Amino acid sequence: MAFPLLSLIVFLPAAGAAALMFFRNDDAVRWTALGVTVLDFALCIAMLAGFDTTTHEMQFTERRSWIPVLRISYALGVDGISALFIVLTALLGWICVLASWVAIDRKVKEFMVSLLVMQALMLGVFCALDLFLFYVFWEAMLIPMYMIIGIWGGDGRVYAAFKFFLYTLAGSLLFLIGVIVLYLHGGTFDILVLTAQDLPFRVQSWLFFAFLIAFAVKVPMVPLHTWLPDAHVQAPTAGSIILAAVLLKMGAYGFLRFSLPMLPQASVHYSTLMLALSALAIVYGGLLALAQDDLKKLVAYSSISHMGFVTLGIFSLNLRGLEGGILQMFNHGVTTGALFLFVGLIYERTHTRSIADYGGLMKAAPVYTVFLALFVLSSMALPGTNSFVGELLVLSGGFAANPALTAVAILGAVLGAAYLLGMYRKVALGPASVGTRFKIHDVNARELAAILPLAVLVLWGGLYPKPFLGIIDASVKHLLMQVHGSGGGP
Amino acid sequence: MTADALVQSILASLPEIVVVTGACALLILGQLVRKGQGRFLVCTSIAVVLIAALATLMLVGEARPAYAGMFIADRFAVFFKSIFYLVTVLTFLLSRKYTDIEGIESSEYYVLLLFALSGMMIMASATDLLSLYVGLELMALCTYVLTGFLRQQRRSNEAALKYVILGSISTGIFLYGVSLVYGITGTTQLDGMAAAVTGAPLDPGLLLAVVFIVAGLVFKVGAVPFHMWVPDVYEGAPTTIAAFMSAGPKAAGFAVILRVFLNPLVTASDAWIIVAVIAVVTMALGSFVALVQDNFKRLLAYSSIAHAGFALLGVVAGGADGIASVMLYLLIYAFMNLGIFGTVIMMRNGDVSGEGIEDYAGFARSHRGLALLMLLYLFSLAGIPPTAGFFAKFYVLVALVERGFVTLAVVAVLLSAVAAYFYIRIVMVIYMREPERAFEPALTPLVRAALAVTAIGTIGIGLFPAWFLGLAQNSVFGG
Repeated sequence: MAFPLLSLIVFLPAAGAAALMFFRNDDAVRWTALGVTVLDFALCIAMLAGFDTTTHEMQFTERRSWIPVLRISYALGVDGISALFIVLTALLGWICVLASWVAIDRKVKEFMVSLLVMQALMLGVFCALDLFLFYVFWEAMLIPMYMIIGIWGGDGRVYAAFKFFLYTLAGSLLFLIGVIVLYLHGGTFDILVLTAQDLPFRVQSWLFFAFLIAFAVKVPMVPLHTWLPDAHVQAPTAGSIILAAVLLKMGAYGFLRFSLPMLPQASVHYSTLMLALSALAIVYGGLLALAQDDLKKLVAYSSISHMGFVTLGIFSLNLRGLEGGILQMFNHGVTTGALFLFVGLIYERTHTRSIADYGGLMKAAPVYTVFLALFVLSSMALPGTNSFVGELLVLSGGFAANPALTAVAILGAVLGAAYLLGMYRKVALGPASVGTRFKIHDVNARELAAILPLAVLVLWGGLYPKPFLGIIDASVKHLLMQVHGSGGGP
Repeated sequence: MTADALVQSILASLPEIVVVTGACALLILGQLVRKGQGRFLVCTSIAVVLIAALATLMLVGEARPAYAGMFIADRFAVFFKSIFYLVTVLTFLLSRKYTDIEGIESSEYYVLLLFALSGMMIMASATDLLSLYVGLELMALCTYVLTGFLRQQRRSNEAALKYVILGSISTGIFLYGVSLVYGITGTTQLDGMAAAVTGAPLDPGLLLAVVFIVAGLVFKVGAVPFHMWVPDVYEGAPTTIAAFMSAGPKAAGFAVILRVFLNPLVTASDAWIIVAVIAVVTMALGSFVALVQDNFKRLLAYSSIAHAGFALLGVVAGGADGIASVMLYLLIYAFMNLGIFGTVIMMRNGDVSGEGIEDYAGFARSHRGLALLMLLYLFSLAGIPPTAGFFAKFYVLVALVERGFVTLAVVAVLLSAVAAYFYIRIVMVIYMREPERAFEPALTPLVRAALAVTAIGTIGIGLFPAWFLGLAQNSVFGG
């Protein structure tokens, strides 16, 4: 068996967390956590360097028998769909450590342990090739996330943590039943084998809705989104970044990995419903964001809107839509992760998130506001930024699938410009306001180190997206073949 | 009975003989030991259990029927006896310091636990309704006394009295069912009952008998509608005894239910519908009522009711997988529930009762390791992977869906999401509140050992369930 690179990537943070348990000094804890996450990221880059973009097959696969009686194995692998998210998760790992450097000042050790465990589990979700293993990683994530929100969150943290936990648990338990039904039909938990089997349409429909609830909670899709604003607002900065950038992607990843390839007929049959739900999320999320005064809430609701574009692209079920959807998942992770980071940075300085308290930050913190402008523009999908490429692909795919609903979605893009520019104007421009009463210093080197890679990705993805599309291309084409049968899709 | 058959019978029941003899010896020895020599009592008791375990392991090879078909030593019994040994040893480990603090240290405490153990062992091995009854009563009588062991406390006495009265009624119902079976089929042997009705349409009287027998057994596992005693008894009894009862006698009750349900008679009688209804109502009641509990022991009582409901679903599923799933569930439940009870027992120190959930506020601040253990047990009870509690539930669900009971499975998972709320509420109190006072958990090496064993079981079976799963599956059909 080849070198177990993926196991190393997944379990390195967990090993780091175990090691941290024995530390006493807070600074040592921080530096070790940073070292572990950076090393993990380096491993991911190494993985990407050896990644073959010409094939849709799983790469770097590992397989060991785990529970032979139930034909459950420990199987990891990566293809074009998961590769980007593994790298994104690893990248945000050390950005989160940097973002929590001073923001977390009590129980630092416990926080970093939770963060690293979370990191390991998220990487596990994207690498798992066995449904049972996937579910274990997927559900185990609830534990560290519950702790991160509940212990280090804001004033309403306990309520938000409960809501997050129970919502996600209830959703995933139905998914569990779906997993068991799949197992009993296919006789295995191997994702690739299950993908190849042909289920009767009736079974597919039931499973589709069982999976839909689980994934729609995670994405989140309206009307199962109400946990998200609470969780995002109350979570500490690192928690918000993880939630927005990685956890939300898992719902969409679930659609791509399970719903589409395993339940192709149901996916095609219910695609209009999904497109309608996506359009609803885009517009409704945008309208909600428009009405917010709280910075974090605004970004949180904008996430709902943006994830609507992702699901719109996925359920267009054509090449442009799918590629755009996946690219948009990655872009949203970068951009919204960055926006939460920015909200966190300013909150550390002023301890207020109310937009009304801010104004004229441009003078006090020029570097901060320039970068903020970049990410705001990216979030609006301005040409030249990463989101433009993704959103354009999604919309052109959407038009091919359902012009009317896509037209509604475009309305959401306009709304996006309205609330994002409005927010930027009130915070950064105009006369200096209450916010500047506090002594606001500009971003320091540590914070810049966290911001720069994200800024680079925004511009890189906007100006030269070919490498990103190259990674996903082969796998998406294969996925489309699975959905539309061997004849190939439109 | 020939001499040879007698030798064979004695050999088959060697573990029971060891435990009973050990208990009798300890009863005498206990009078000779000076007060304050609790360590001697604990060590001797554990030694007795370990010798019995050794004897059990020696007998594992083949099924040995004994005493003219009233008793059998098969793998099924061995599996359950292993659970009983585990539970009893852990209870002994937790009891030493606790009995000291409560001032109830005496040799009878250990003797009664050993007798209860032998009762449970007989239950697991019984193949006749009468031998079953003997084991059941032996176990029940011991637990009645142990429940009232806190003689100075009113609620302990009240709990014991309540338990005796309700317990006797349930035993009466059970015996009535047995007499009906005897009247209709002319035998009390489980095999004989099956043979008597093969082919013939089912006698309605027999169905009634099955209902009575099931009702009597359901009392022992604490399922609705015979659950009322559970919270009061758990709250009033010494915590160690509550811990013991939550895992041991409950498992024994399930052993008997499974033994009866392995029987084609019951399979043919559509009794599973009754059990399915009982299971769902039990889960629902346990989960919802636990939501509003402030007393840790009462909460664990309702939690044990909910878990009994979940395990009953495995009985509903039936078949090899269903039975194996119940067995595995009970083993895992023994680990995690004794673990959480262990932490409650440990909190009882000085004038702190450690029974209010609020007493644990901010516990994580000063005792990181112990708080982490509680977190582990609680998430396991809630059924979150990668803990063993998840795998226990998962396997029951597999068995259910395999039999086509998808709706039941969906109801079960939704109710377990409700149950998750009160477990994570305790986690919240431990981790997300500020401490109001200093904590002085009564941590002795014995308590540490018990917590270590339960923690290793809870996380170990969760990560590597294959061996235990195989064990449960191999133990299903005797042999």
